[in-house]
Amino acid sequence: IPVSSRQAFPLPSLPRKQPTVLVVCGPAQNGAIGLVCARHLRIFDYEPTIFYPKRSPDPLYRDFTTQCEKMDIPFLSYLPTEVQLINDAYNAVVDAVLGAEAEAAEGREPCAAILATLKHVRIPIVSLDVPSGWDVEAGSSGGISPDVLVSLSAPKQCARRFLGRQHFVAGRFLPYDVQKKFELNPPKYPGTECVVAL
Amino acid sequence: MGAPPRGRPCLRACSVPSRAEPSRSRRMPGPRALLGLGLLVAAGVRAGGRCPNRGWDRSWDRDRERCRPHRAMHGPNAGSGPRGLRFLGQDEAQAIDQELFTEYKFSVDQLMELAGLSCATAIAKAYPPSSFTTSQPAVLVVCGPGNNGGDGLVCARHLKMFGYQPTVYYPKRPNKPLFEGLTTQCQKMDIPFLPEFPAEAALIDELYGLVVDAIFGFSFKGAVREPFGSILSTLERITVPIASIDIPSGWDVEKGKADGLQPDMLISLTAPKKAAMHFAGRYHFLGGRFVPAALQEKYTLNLPPYPETDCVLQLT
Repeated sequence: IPVSSRQAFPLPSLPRKQPTVLVVCGPAQNGAIGLVCARHLRIFDYEPTIFYPKRSPDPLYRDFTTQCEKMDIPFLSYLPTEVQLINDAYNAVVDAVLGAEAEAAEGREPCAAILATLKHVRIPIVSLDVPSGWDVEAGSSGGISPDVLVSLSAPKQCARRFLGRQHFVAGRFLPYDVQKKFELNPPKYPGTECVVAL
Repeated sequence: MGAPPRGRPCLRACSVPSRAEPSRSRRMPGPRALLGLGLLVAAGVRAGGRCPNRGWDRSWDRDRERCRPHRAMHGPNAGSGPRGLRFLGQDEAQAIDQELFTEYKFSVDQLMELAGLSCATAIAKAYPPSSFTTSQPAVLVVCGPGNNGGDGLVCARHLKMFGYQPTVYYPKRPNKPLFEGLTTQCQKMDIPFLPEFPAEAALIDELYGLVVDAIFGFSFKGAVREPFGSILSTLERITVPIASIDIPSGWDVEKGKADGLQPDMLISLTAPKKAAMHFAGRYHFLGGRFVPAALQEKYTLNLPPYPETDCVLQLT
């Protein structure tokens, strides 16, 4: 995921002087992937900041949090509702709020408030797996509009409604029998890359 | 050893995919035993030998002179590499490892996965599948009894993803979920596990285009226990290239081993160890791009910058 974020926004092209990126992490697996992404962005010399209001008790995810903290990645204590502040401070937002596992009306607060804010940002959004708030199959009805979508394993049905600039698939690590069983027909990945642009 | 992958045509258009077929074309004439390693590899690899050198980022260009492939950089008199890159002693390497787990809360799984991926990536850069003279890009991965072996299992899995035909030899398997999981992952990817080690060096040369040495790592101390002594003796006699993970197996982690394994490639993980100063092969890569900046500073690793989002850096 951070590799595809990087491909979409190579460092020299970022408008702000500092390569700042806001990573918004939800309470479940999608959020945990966001934490891993933030750590790799840091290794790639970006300056990520994390907003992770509802932390998972899962020990694995708690360790991801510690890893980020020890890499000096700041954690915001609140997300400004004033969208202009976000637009001014960051070059892009990584949306790791909700993934394909989210049920329709489950655990939506504080997610609903976050999504309401993200809907109005003018800087590009990179969504992990599913644009947060979208129905996994039907897509969005007035939700966020990401610039970049990184589908994990394989694109979900709602990706058909994705209208942004770039759609990446990160699914190189799927074993062959899983690919066959679900008839995924994945694209060919170039060289040793772990993401491919669709 | 298994058939070619289902549905994929044989790379060299041979009608019989059996690797034991003696008439399969190898481009070099004459008894293999008479050819030195250099000649054999040169004939076996595409013209130009080296893979396209994607390790050089623009910002690295001004240091190109210092990073030009040069054996003396790794000779016994070289105390440091490009930009004062440090070579670690065994205690330091162990201390850094411990700190990653206890302070930074990385799991062994996480770092092993990143390490194994680095190894496969480095191999793919230096020995692309198209450069093999065997009918399939066949690779033998020899896994030892500890974490270095685990790195090898991860590496084998990624090599398969990258289009190679890896085969694993894993004689001593720890009774731990981590290693059992990695073994299962390989098996489910149709990676064969040999029941016994090829009896002779010549057989390895015949069947494989590359051997990955994932036997011993930076924790290695003291005498080599069987079956690894015999394995290393055989590996010392093969002519196909060896890629060692982190430390050439059997070498002292700091002093090396003059009469030991002579790998063609070394993938140093996290930072190179002192043994790497005695490495005389063609390719030295750095992998394991997970060291937080604070830890790099604490140990003054002076790691050169990795190119873009690559997980490996070619040092020579």
